[in-house]
Amino acid sequence: MTAAKLIINEIRGYHRFLKFMIVLVVLGALASLVRFIFGLGVTTNLNDVYPWGLWISFDVVTAVPLAAGAFTLGAIVHCFHIKKLEPLVRPAIVTGFLGYSLVSVGLLLDLGQPQRAWHTMVYWNVHSPMFEVSMCIMAYTTVLFMEFLSPVCEKLGYHVPLRVLRWLEMPLVIGAASISTLHQSSLGTFFLIAVDKLHALWYNPLLPLLFWLSAIFTGISIIILEATMVHRFMGQPDESELLEVLTKILPWVLGVYLVVKLGATTLLSHGPLFDRPSLLALFVVEIIIGVIVPMFMFMKQECRENQRMQLRGASLVIFGLVLNRFNVSMFGMEQADQAIYYPSIIESLVTIGIIAAHVLFFVLLAKYFPIFEHHPETVDYSIPDHAHSTTVEHGHAHRPDNGVVH
Amino acid sequence: MSSTPINFDKTKSFLIDTTKCTGCRGCQVACKQWNQLKAENTKFFSGEGYQNPPLMSEYTFTRVKFKDYQKNGQNEFAFYKEMCMHCNEPACASVCPVGAFNKTAEGPVVYDAGRCIGCRFCMIACPFGVPKYEWSKAFPLVRKCTGCYSRIKEGLQPACATACPTAITYGSRGDMLKEAERRLNNRPERYHQAIYGKEEAGGTSVLYLTHQPLDELGFKPVTKRPLPSYTWQALRLVPGIFLTVGGGLSLLSWFTHRTERVRREEAFKNSKVQPEVETTEAGTKEESR
Repeated sequence: MTAAKLIINEIRGYHRFLKFMIVLVVLGALASLVRFIFGLGVTTNLNDVYPWGLWISFDVVTAVPLAAGAFTLGAIVHCFHIKKLEPLVRPAIVTGFLGYSLVSVGLLLDLGQPQRAWHTMVYWNVHSPMFEVSMCIMAYTTVLFMEFLSPVCEKLGYHVPLRVLRWLEMPLVIGAASISTLHQSSLGTFFLIAVDKLHALWYNPLLPLLFWLSAIFTGISIIILEATMVHRFMGQPDESELLEVLTKILPWVLGVYLVVKLGATTLLSHGPLFDRPSLLALFVVEIIIGVIVPMFMFMKQECRENQRMQLRGASLVIFGLVLNRFNVSMFGMEQADQAIYYPSIIESLVTIGIIAAHVLFFVLLAKYFPIFEHHPETVDYSIPDHAHSTTVEHGHAHRPDNGVVH
Repeated sequence: MSSTPINFDKTKSFLIDTTKCTGCRGCQVACKQWNQLKAENTKFFSGEGYQNPPLMSEYTFTRVKFKDYQKNGQNEFAFYKEMCMHCNEPACASVCPVGAFNKTAEGPVVYDAGRCIGCRFCMIACPFGVPKYEWSKAFPLVRKCTGCYSRIKEGLQPACATACPTAITYGSRGDMLKEAERRLNNRPERYHQAIYGKEEAGGTSVLYLTHQPLDELGFKPVTKRPLPSYTWQALRLVPGIFLTVGGGLSLLSWFTHRTERVRREEAFKNSKVQPEVETTEAGTKEESR
C-alpha cells in the first residue's frame, strides 16, 4: 500500500465530526486562495472607512486572549507551584501553540503584503504597538513550540532533547508569562490611538490593563472548557476536581477586572457614555453576562464543584470576552453615521476554517502524541539511558544540561 | 519616526483660506496629473453633497468638498479642500510597525511603499481618515498625499498650491500661522475665529481658515494632543513591565520551589547513596529523592 493510500484509509476511519472539520478547513483554505487571486477589495467587505474587519477582530484580537490558557496555567502550576494541576498543562500548551500558529495564519491573510512580514524584524519602530505585538507573537509562538516539543520527543523517544527541554522548563514558563503580559496588553494599546473613533464606553487609558486582566480569566476559562470537552467527547478522565481549583481563582480576577473596568469607564473616559443605546446595550451585556454572572456563580461552592456549572460559567466568561473584543475592535469603532460592516462570505469561510483547523489539529495531535499521558514524576530524563548504571553516584546533583554531553 | 527634532515653525505648510476658494477643483486636477493617478468613474450625487468623487481614495489624494448653506435667503456653497494634514507628530508614523511613514524636516509626511506590509494600522490611527488602500489589488499598498515631496525638494511648490488661483498660500509654518492670525484680526466678520490645524492633533502642516463654524463644514473635531502620546504612555512601560513580571515570577518560583528543594537535598544527604555499578533499578533512584 502506498503512503497516500495509508493516509486515506486512516482518514476514512475518523469520526464523522472530524471529517466535517476537514471539509471546513479545506473550504477555508480555498477561500484564502480566492483572497490572494482576486484581492482584498473584491473578496472582503472591507473599505477605506472600515479597514479592519472580522479577520482582525476575531482571528487576532479575540484569538490571542482565547489562546492565553498556556501562559496562565504555566504560571499557576510552575510559579505559584500548584503542582496538582500539572495534568492540565500539556493540553493547554497544545491549545496555545495551535492558537498562536493560527493567529499568525490569520494575520498573514489580512496583510496586504504577507511576503514582507519579515520587515517587522528588520525595520523596527518601537513606537508601534503592532511592532511590539508582532515581535511578541513570534517570540511566544517559538516558546510554545519548544514547550510543545516535549510530547513530540516523548513519542519519538528522543531523550537528549527532552533533557534540554526539561532543563528549560522554568525559563520557558517565566518567559511565556512575561511575553504574554506584554502582547496581551499591547493589543489594547492598539486602540488607544483611535482617540476620537472608539466609543467612550471602551476607550480609556487603562484599556491595555483591562485586556491583560481579561486574558487571564479567559485563559483559565478556556482550560475549563477544553478539559470538560475532552472528558465528554474524547474519553479522557474527569478533571473537575482539578478544575475546581481554577474556579476558585476566577472570581478574584473577574472581580479585579470589574472594579478596574467600571472605575476606568466612569472616571477616566472622555465623551458621552449614554449617547448610543445599541452600544450601551452591548456594554451592559458584556459586563453582566460575561463578568458579573460568572463571578457570582463561582463564588458559590456548589457551582465550583459541579462539572456542568463549571462549564456554564466558563462559557459565559468566554462569551463575554469575545463580545468585549468585538465591541472594542468592531462595534465601538463604527461611527453613528457610518454604514454597518458585516463580513463577506469569503471572510466568514476563512475564519470558520481557522476555528475548525484548531479543533481538528487538537484532536489529531491528541490522537497521535502523548498529550494526555503526561506523568513527569515517573520518568527521569536527567540521566542518559545508556548511563543509567554508571552515573548514579551523581544522583540529583547531576544537571540535565551535562547529560547532553554524553 | 524621525530621529532628529524638527523645528515645526520652519516646516513648509499650506494655508488654505476656504473663504477664498471658488470650488474650481484645479487642485484636484493638478494632483491627479502630478501623481499620475487614474481617473475615477463618478456619478453626480453619489456622495453626501455636490462634490465628486464621493470620497478620497487610492486614486484621489485631494478633493474639494461642497457644503450647501443659506445666506440672506440664497443658496450658497462653501468649500473645503480635503487632503493629508501632514501632522507635526503623525499618528500613522507612530503606529506603523515597519516605520513606513516619516515626517520630513521639510514638512510633508512621506510614505515608503517598499517597507509597507499592508496592515492598515495607519488607516485606523489617522484622525483625519487620510491613508487609503489599493483595494483593487491582490497585494495592496497604502496611498496618500505626498505633500509633493519630490517637488518641494527641488524648490517648487506642491502641485495643488501651484494650480490654485485664490485660496492656497504655501510657506513656512511660522509665517503661515502669522498670516492666518493677520487675516483673522483684519477682517473678523469674514472669518470664524479659529485656525484649524494650529493645534489639532498637536499641530499640522495644513492650516484652514473658514467662514462657517468648523463642524458645519465637515471638519472632524480632533484632539489637541499629539496622537502618538496616547499609545506611548502605555508602550513606554513595556521594558519595565517585562522585567517586573519576569523578575517577579522568577523570585516567586524560587521561593515556592525552595521548600521542596531543601527537602530533597536533605534526603539526599541523609540517604548516603552508594554508587552501584552493576544493577540500578529505577525504583531505588526514585526513593533516593
